[in-house]
Amino acid sequence: MSTPTQAGRRARVLAGAASRPGALLAGVLVVRWCVLAWLVLLVVLGDGRLHVPSGLVAASVTATWTLLLTWRRPPWSPSWLGADLALCAALLVVAAVAPSLATVYPVAAAVTWGAVAGARAGTVAGAVLGAVYVTAHVIEGLTLAAVDESVLDVAGDSFSLVLAGAGVGLVSTLVQRSEAAVRAAEGDRLRAVERAARLGEREVLARQVHDSVLQALTLVHKRGRELAAQPVVGPADVQGLADLAATQERDLRELLLRSRREEPAPAPAGAGHAGASLRQRLLAAAAARPGLDVQVSTVVDRLLPARLVSEVGAAVEECLSNVERHAGTRSVWVFAEDEGVELVVSVRDDGAGFVLDEARMEAAGRMGLRGSVVGRVGDLGGRVEVRSTPGRGTEVELRVPLPVAGAVGHDGARG
Amino acid sequence: MRVLVVDDHPMWREGVRADLEREGEFLVVAQAADGTEGVRAARAHRPDLVLLDLSMPGMSGGEAIGRLLVEVPAARVLVLSASGEAPDVLDAVKAGASGYLLKSSTAVELRAAARQVVDGEPVFSPTLAALVLGEFRRVAAGAPTDGRPAGGHDPARLTERETEVLRYVARGYPYRDVADTLVISVRTVQNHVQSIFRKLQVSSRYELMRLALERGLDQDRAHPPPG
Repeated sequence: MSTPTQAGRRARVLAGAASRPGALLAGVLVVRWCVLAWLVLLVVLGDGRLHVPSGLVAASVTATWTLLLTWRRPPWSPSWLGADLALCAALLVVAAVAPSLATVYPVAAAVTWGAVAGARAGTVAGAVLGAVYVTAHVIEGLTLAAVDESVLDVAGDSFSLVLAGAGVGLVSTLVQRSEAAVRAAEGDRLRAVERAARLGEREVLARQVHDSVLQALTLVHKRGRELAAQPVVGPADVQGLADLAATQERDLRELLLRSRREEPAPAPAGAGHAGASLRQRLLAAAAARPGLDVQVSTVVDRLLPARLVSEVGAAVEECLSNVERHAGTRSVWVFAEDEGVELVVSVRDDGAGFVLDEARMEAAGRMGLRGSVVGRVGDLGGRVEVRSTPGRGTEVELRVPLPVAGAVGHDGARG
Repeated sequence: MRVLVVDDHPMWREGVRADLEREGEFLVVAQAADGTEGVRAARAHRPDLVLLDLSMPGMSGGEAIGRLLVEVPAARVLVLSASGEAPDVLDAVKAGASGYLLKSSTAVELRAAARQVVDGEPVFSPTLAALVLGEFRRVAAGAPTDGRPAGGHDPARLTERETEVLRYVARGYPYRDVADTLVISVRTVQNHVQSIFRKLQVSSRYELMRLALERGLDQDRAHPPPG
């Protein structure tokens, strides 16, 4: 089964393809060449009826035109159609003056008009050419009233011009209509295939998540019974149960939301996007610490430079790791606000807090904050401020300069 | 305190009822499975507090809250959300909810929030604070909110102080710490929070009134009243 993207692409290509009567026009081009060959032959063989200089001119002009058409394969805009008609009308005038089978080539003009623009256009072109032909003959002395063989010949030739234009025009319209119907049906089919593939993928994903949720539920059930049988139950055990449930809850909800919105799975980071979502990165950092209850709130409406998001995300992860190690609490709040010229990120816990004695900290080896957080933020051109009160928690505030608003894209996830 | 619980999952309704009634403070006088039933139940039982789940099918949370408050203007609404999805929560608060709680909150947290809301104090979590900050920023920038046309009326703006309070709450500071940092009393912080809520709800009510007026005027123009 083709992947959803392949099928989708094909559907789109089919739907967008312009309806050009390509095959018909190619056939007309072949006919033009054949008739041209016949024309050249006539001139070369020097039929007595042929007026050689005008015949030569006619043949060479026609040859040049046919060559041009073959080489350029024009889109048959009105100007090209007009030029073709004019040339063929001129050929008909020559034919009236110097009889030859030059009447065969001009059919190509009527036929081309029909193929490109439908039966009506073909009829008009044929009628114009026919009128020119008859008029030229009349000027050359043909008496229409005589109704003799020559008049019938001329009339027949003119009539066949009109017929050819109308006939081919009708065929062209019918062919295009059926082509369009086939294309539409094919497009529908491909879209259905694409949807089926997408649904298939989603089903697989859903099954995986449902599986893991079922597993987790069974585990919760099992652990619950075990804990119920214990005389003394530690908070850590029960918290572990809650964390397990929370992770599965989050995963399942994300899957449900995504499927409701019919979104594809999120593109991997650095997939060539100009900007990145800070909110997503912070949520990922929070999810990576199941041992903490992290609340992420953001007031950032736009996508930010990918490197900035990545570095800030890593710095926040460091802060969270610090909280887990030293703060003695589970509650952490991560807040980010786009202040236009600066991004402010705050990581606050309500834990033990500490006295900011840097010398003692260095001695105790608690370099986590100073080392990578300050380092990363410094590299981004920003600064870090740490506020703490013993017993009243700790707040680490990162301030990083931002590019001018409008330089990157828009972050759909608000709040 | 008389409570109405509106949630489409019977399991949750029972759980909430058990949690609320455990200490004897609250009595669940009615339950409903969707917005329409909830409005009917409110009309019949006139509760002091309504606990409303946001993720119900049918009527949206915001609409349900609006109608509930029309029936029982003195009631307080506390919204329960499984996920805290931003636009739904904001709509709920703008429609008159006094705050929201995640469904994963404990019974203790639930009762504390319910008590707070009945006392007239909004439940202002850090996530909600961030949402509100974002909302006022968009209003101030003249950007359209929820697809409604921008400008037109004077949007309620936050004072500097109120924005500061919002920011600290969003960072996870409890009211006490906000008060200490800004060197004001906790009571003042609470007043600021109430003012913020009022502005949020007023701006949404202005918007609704304006839309209603516009529609009314349009109707008058199309079908001028006789006489």
